[in-house]
Amino acid sequence: MLAYIVRRLLIAVPTILLLIVASFFLMHFAPGGPFTSERPLPPAVLANIEARYGLDQPLWKQLWDYLYNIVVHFDFGPSFKFKDRDVNDIIAQGFPISLTYGSLSFLVATSVGVSLGIAAAIKHNSWIDYFAVGLGIAAQALPNFIMGPILILTFTLWLGWLPGGGWNGGQWPYLIMPVIALATSYMGSIARITRSSMLEVLNSNFIRTARAKGLPTRTVIWRHALKPTLLPVVSYLGPVFVYVLTGSVFVDIYFSTGGLGQAYVGSALSRDYAVLLGVTILYGVLTVLVNLLTDLAYAWFDPKIRY
Amino acid sequence: MNKHIRTTLAGLLTSTMITGAALAAGTHPETGEALADDQTFTYRILDEHSSVDPQVVEDVSGAEIVRDLFEGLMNQDEDGNLVPGVATEFTTNDTKDVYTFTLRDDAKWSNGDPVTAGDFVFAWKRAVDPALSSPYAWFMELMSIENAAEIIAGDKPVDELGVTAIDDHTLEVKLSAPLPYFAQMTTHSTTFPAPQKVIEEFGDAWTKPENIVSNGAYVLTEHLPQERSVRERNEMYWDNDNTIVDKVVALVINDENVALTRYLAGELDRTEVPAGQFPRLQKEHPEEAISFPRLCNYYYTFNLSDGGPEAFKDPNVRQALSLAVDRKIITENIMAGGQPQAYTFAPEATAGFTVPEVEMASMSQQERDELAKELLAAAGYGPDNPLSFEMVYNTSEAHKKVAVALSQMWKQKLGVNAELANMEWKIFLEERGNQNFDLARGAWCGDYNEASTFLDLLQSDSGYNDGKYNNAKVDELLAQAKTSDDAAPLYTEVERIIAQETPVIPIYHYAGVYMMDSDVGNWPVNNVEQNWYSKNLYKIAE
Amino acid sequence: MLGKSQKAAHLAEDITDYTVIQGRSLWQDARMRFVRNKAAMASLFILGLIVLFTLIGPYFAVWNNEEIDWNVMGDVRGMGMPSVETGHFFGVDDLGRDLYSRVIQATTTSLLVGLIGAATALIVGTCYGIAAGYIGGRTDGIMMRFVDILLAIPATLVIILLLVVAGRSFFMLFIALGAVGWLTMARIVRGQTLTLKNREFIEAARAAGVSEFTIMYRHILPNLLGVVIVYASLLVPEMILTESFISFLGLGISEPYTSLGRLIAEGAGTMGYGTLWQLMFPLTFYVAIIITMFFIGDGLRDALDPKDR
Repeated sequence: MLAYIVRRLLIAVPTILLLIVASFFLMHFAPGGPFTSERPLPPAVLANIEARYGLDQPLWKQLWDYLYNIVVHFDFGPSFKFKDRDVNDIIAQGFPISLTYGSLSFLVATSVGVSLGIAAAIKHNSWIDYFAVGLGIAAQALPNFIMGPILILTFTLWLGWLPGGGWNGGQWPYLIMPVIALATSYMGSIARITRSSMLEVLNSNFIRTARAKGLPTRTVIWRHALKPTLLPVVSYLGPVFVYVLTGSVFVDIYFSTGGLGQAYVGSALSRDYAVLLGVTILYGVLTVLVNLLTDLAYAWFDPKIRY
Repeated sequence: MNKHIRTTLAGLLTSTMITGAALAAGTHPETGEALADDQTFTYRILDEHSSVDPQVVEDVSGAEIVRDLFEGLMNQDEDGNLVPGVATEFTTNDTKDVYTFTLRDDAKWSNGDPVTAGDFVFAWKRAVDPALSSPYAWFMELMSIENAAEIIAGDKPVDELGVTAIDDHTLEVKLSAPLPYFAQMTTHSTTFPAPQKVIEEFGDAWTKPENIVSNGAYVLTEHLPQERSVRERNEMYWDNDNTIVDKVVALVINDENVALTRYLAGELDRTEVPAGQFPRLQKEHPEEAISFPRLCNYYYTFNLSDGGPEAFKDPNVRQALSLAVDRKIITENIMAGGQPQAYTFAPEATAGFTVPEVEMASMSQQERDELAKELLAAAGYGPDNPLSFEMVYNTSEAHKKVAVALSQMWKQKLGVNAELANMEWKIFLEERGNQNFDLARGAWCGDYNEASTFLDLLQSDSGYNDGKYNNAKVDELLAQAKTSDDAAPLYTEVERIIAQETPVIPIYHYAGVYMMDSDVGNWPVNNVEQNWYSKNLYKIAE
Repeated sequence: MLGKSQKAAHLAEDITDYTVIQGRSLWQDARMRFVRNKAAMASLFILGLIVLFTLIGPYFAVWNNEEIDWNVMGDVRGMGMPSVETGHFFGVDDLGRDLYSRVIQATTTSLLVGLIGAATALIVGTCYGIAAGYIGGRTDGIMMRFVDILLAIPATLVIILLLVVAGRSFFMLFIALGAVGWLTMARIVRGQTLTLKNREFIEAARAAGVSEFTIMYRHILPNLLGVVIVYASLLVPEMILTESFISFLGLGISEPYTSLGRLIAEGAGTMGYGTLWQLMFPLTFYVAIIITMFFIGDGLRDALDPKDR
């Protein structure tokens, strides 16, 4: 197992490198550059700016310098749009914010979603099932861009209970709405996948056999049914976890949280190359790590899986 | 929960009251209005500012912050007139190519150092220095400062810039060409002084709140990117005694509807009104919904380059399309924020600009539609040979509404097929800049309050002329205007030619449409460039 | 005790599964069971009604989807509400266009987008996931690292480049949607395949000399369908919403055409301004689609579950 983990971590290096190279070229082939603006800069001014950021160099040289600075100085370069800050600053400021509201939302969404899903499956076709299904549908019916305005209208304008946005170091009144908005968007899906997976497992022959042998339902579920039930849920949660940890652009836009989600989409739209690459690398590293974790989780859920 | 926020707020209040106790609670020295205890002004900005470095900043919200943090040679008053800043006065020679500014001796940086002519020399050299590569370096070139263009191009060393500190309080500027409105241009943030010692000590990090030293009425005390920035009273500022607002908070709120909700919840003193919401808000909050003209235009430009559509080479077609646009519907029903209808390229609000008698403006919409049909028929387009083209705009709710309305007007009145295509901003700019369009949206805000800032866009070799309109007479008139003492008639003539040839379809001119808390005093609604200074505002007790 | 019972369970499962595969056609059986599922049939019926509405609805429309009602556009709040008199059965949008016609057009678009987008993601993701999981070893490693890379590449850039290279079209929209949708599907399928391929019944099939391809198709795929279909039914609403972002970038649907995702976003923006119908009508159709997808997905899952008979 340890050898497997080490091997996977070693493979992660070329994986991330490939990701950087691919994103780098995608980025440079996309129309418009960081300094394309409504008032085109005079050629002399543009030349100075490009020289300053090394954009006048051939692409391979730029890529090489970029990688060199990361490896040697752990420097991810300057932001082209926010000139007072560099990429390290932007990630250091935005990531903790995204991490906070993201992991909280993930916890809420997963715990509520999985519990609802299991309860619904066990009490198939009971009121709990209908409630879970209804809640799942409601959560899906209210995508972020409806949840955002509804929450702000309700809690800020009408009730006056919560501040309408901002972060303020993550004090809890500022956290509530982002966490609710982000959690609801996944809770429904998680509950749905858990429910159907559990139904399937409960129908499978080995559970029936276990039941037929007279084992109490509780034991059957906890000892035998839970692990195989969670397997597809974990597959689904992997990418969700990464996405949620790096923040949500909707949450950042509606609640002015200042997380990475906004920086990520914003940098792609403003062609802020270094910021976009920096966040992409973070995203890639997290993806690789989380997918390693899910694979390990598979082996734990089903000891027969060998790599 | 409620209680928790109140206590935090109370904490904030007490801390600001201690710093500004001298002037808060009291009455305004001139108007006699009772002043609020809490002199905090909170406003919404659409997007995170690019920088607070005066020589680097390039966006409007950044420039607003820089105008509070730093003070240049001259300021603007509520009406946009020139008033002294760090300079108390200036003189110029007869040929208007040497300007000498006298600096006040009580101006100080926030660390107590005096503001000297040397600080300006340092800043201006910095602005043109290829090493800093300021995106606004071209502004120094526009100011015609001697050798600026050569330095930017890398042909001369930075030290040869035509600006010298005669002594600590005298600054002399040499220009490469006479420029009557040079002093006006020193209200622009690029020309503000910069603290050499601090910049040399901290490098690029000098603008962080913990490092920054500034000479304006405020200092930057907090910056949480994408969330908020806070600036507070600079006790060292020479006119600190007359400054009333203690603290200014800029909140980044990307979504205009959310911003309005938060305004209505009392979290903001100022926010923009989303297109179309003004009439309702004005009815519900007559004291708070305000609208005033801005120095910006909104238009559609034809692609007149060789690669452009053949149909648009015919001025009759262009004029027909322009005539059929019912500007009243767009300004009153879609934007609905008091925007003036546009029949000329430069806004009427531009200083010293007389709007010419354009024929179209005096016709009724019905007459315009009739004429449009005739012109289009004369050009050979009709039911059997309908005119079709694509119109592009960048993705935005308001732009979409205008584009849809235009296409429907043309379709219903003229049977023209205008296919709509929205694009993400950078792609849009790239396509428009490469003349990869038939008809494209455009908008321009004046860099300074003079008609040439708009009309230069239609000069044949202008880098901003995306439609590639080319008229020798227009070029000649604009060149004449540069050196003329009275350029107004020349501009009027240019507009007359544009109205005839219709290289662009002017739609409307911008208005500043705000929700502004009624306790905000002295907002400069008459300053068409919207160069506002927090030090001139005050909060009235409710 | 535990070990023993598990062994017994696996053994029992092994036997039943093996006999089933030799037995009746899976598909015939599934159809029968699906028809018996009341919720699924009701949902199918409602979905049918929605489709029918998009087909015959336009004949009752007074206004088409792009016409602006110039009289109403200045005062949408006061005059644009749903009314039979004005012919705007669902009211008008912010620009004075008839919401009834727009919702019909949007529903057509979004149904196509949701179903085709999810189907693309389903087919590509399932094939890829089964292949990676079943072959395993180094191939699996490489295939999954490729998915990792694609998951992390900024989708915005990919879409922008697609737009530049191929231009705006309805077809490219599906390509873009499929491109972002299949990755998670591939991971889920691969995870399930990993557990399935170690089951005794697969080993038995292999011992009996069944070809690898037949094993994947006949034995692994049917056992995956439950999870795959449920996830695909979740993908439909996701696709409908993703479309509005792709269209924001300029690839996809352009005005005057619209989609449910866009109508909902517009309605949500103006929800505080007293024009709630702009949100409610498109949202109702969207929710109806989600609900029907839910129960149809559930019904299909039950029907296709090879163990459940």
